[in-house]
Amino acid sequence: MSKKKTLVCAVFVLVAAAVAVGGCSSVQVSGAEQTDRTGGKLLSDQMVLVEGGTFKHKRSNYSGGEVAVQDFYIGKYEVTQKEWTAVMGSNPSKFRGDNLPVDSVSWYEAIEYCNRRSLMEGLEPYYNIDKSQADPDNKSEIDPLKWIVTINEGANGYRLPTELEWEYAASGGQKSKGYKYSGGNKPDDVSWNWRNAGNRYLKGGWSWQSIENNENRTRPVGRKKANELGLYDMSGNVREWCWDWYEDQMVESGMFRVVRGGGWLGDVHTLEIKFRGMFDASGVGPDQGFRVARNA
Amino acid sequence: MFKKKKLMAVLVAVAMVSALFAVNGASANTYWQYWTDGIGYVNATNGQGGNYSVSWSNSGNFVIGKGWQYGAHNRVVNYNAGAWQPNGNAYLTLYGWTRNPLIEYYVVDSWGSYRPTGDYRGSVYSDGAWYDLYHSWRYNAPSIDGTQTFQQYWSVRQQKRPTGSNVSITFENHVNAWGAAGMPMGSSWSYQVLATEGYYSSGYSNVTVW
Repeated sequence: MSKKKTLVCAVFVLVAAAVAVGGCSSVQVSGAEQTDRTGGKLLSDQMVLVEGGTFKHKRSNYSGGEVAVQDFYIGKYEVTQKEWTAVMGSNPSKFRGDNLPVDSVSWYEAIEYCNRRSLMEGLEPYYNIDKSQADPDNKSEIDPLKWIVTINEGANGYRLPTELEWEYAASGGQKSKGYKYSGGNKPDDVSWNWRNAGNRYLKGGWSWQSIENNENRTRPVGRKKANELGLYDMSGNVREWCWDWYEDQMVESGMFRVVRGGGWLGDVHTLEIKFRGMFDASGVGPDQGFRVARNA
Repeated sequence: MFKKKKLMAVLVAVAMVSALFAVNGASANTYWQYWTDGIGYVNATNGQGGNYSVSWSNSGNFVIGKGWQYGAHNRVVNYNAGAWQPNGNAYLTLYGWTRNPLIEYYVVDSWGSYRPTGDYRGSVYSDGAWYDLYHSWRYNAPSIDGTQTFQQYWSVRQQKRPTGSNVSITFENHVNAWGAAGMPMGSSWSYQVLATEGYYSSGYSNVTVW
């Protein structure tokens, strides 16, 4: 066995052991490469193949309907700062650390990351980005960019999950146990949130002043309990960009992009699998990150 | 004449319906909003029913109040600030949030050394005094939904309200005034409290909310 393989195995064993004892060890970006269904290289310990189907979770936004999800891959972890910096060359995060999720990235920057990473790994970029004119579908009053972003539907490159995919994965897909939060019914078991992400555990009502003075922050990815699909931090740590425009009875499409999962800053309701968040596409915040997906 | 009578009847009917659905939440004022950053001396007591008191000295920031887990646009918030003795920057304010869209709102009845302001949008007469309406934007700012760009609505009494007696904040008057000034509330209501907020100051307050 070569030294490289030995190291890979050792890391794998360590990670597996850490997961077995509750996932409380740091997670290194490493692992054996294999080829995914689309012919691209896929790091086996970073991307999870999600088997498609209809929602098994009984209380999701899509439960009881005929909405079906195709198979897809999704990141096991939120994109880390190490991954981000390797692709983008700089790090915008407020909180610094290789294994912390990247934060303070806009939707546009997340889109650019996906394409650049695809090119670095020999994959076909999933997005077409036109910065030369304003997107006529973008109705935001506060978005100064308004790039026109379209998709290459069959491309094998990295992309953001759709909102449907995100909720399906967060709910456990075909293995769903019907949890309120991704992976459990107690927020502190599965998420870094405003109560537990600082120096001491906060009680009472949500208060930004208390959060700020408690030095709440992001935490290394993968240290809380994974969900039914082995995905970490789907609830909490940083909230995650999805591809879709946000739309409901009060908010028209074209104003905001969807964010899901909540983070270390918002109130506990934002951690729920069902909670639909929104944020202007050019917005940045220390609780805003993402995870990648790919076609299967 | 007929039209006038009909209009009056409609107004009376609306008033009756409003009275039926007015919320005073006498039994619901147990939501306890407590925070202190640990700087200086802050001693807060969550009293019985709607009572709370806080004594602070050379404090940092703190927000302490009592109210309702879910706000209501037509709530009449009654309170008695038996003691309100700020020395420095502090607010005695009705405070809360709505979502869809996300709005952070204040109805400030009294303050210490600094009267908050913003983009002036008009005035409203309510509960015996004029309040000035202010609007402001917070960009990429913290909120209960995480970082958001959201609006703040303010209604600030033109003069500090006398304390030590039973008084009311008819919140609906402020909601209507904000609405008329192009500042509609969100469709989903988060908590709503009558709070003492202090910022690097000293003082004492004892407030009962119902």
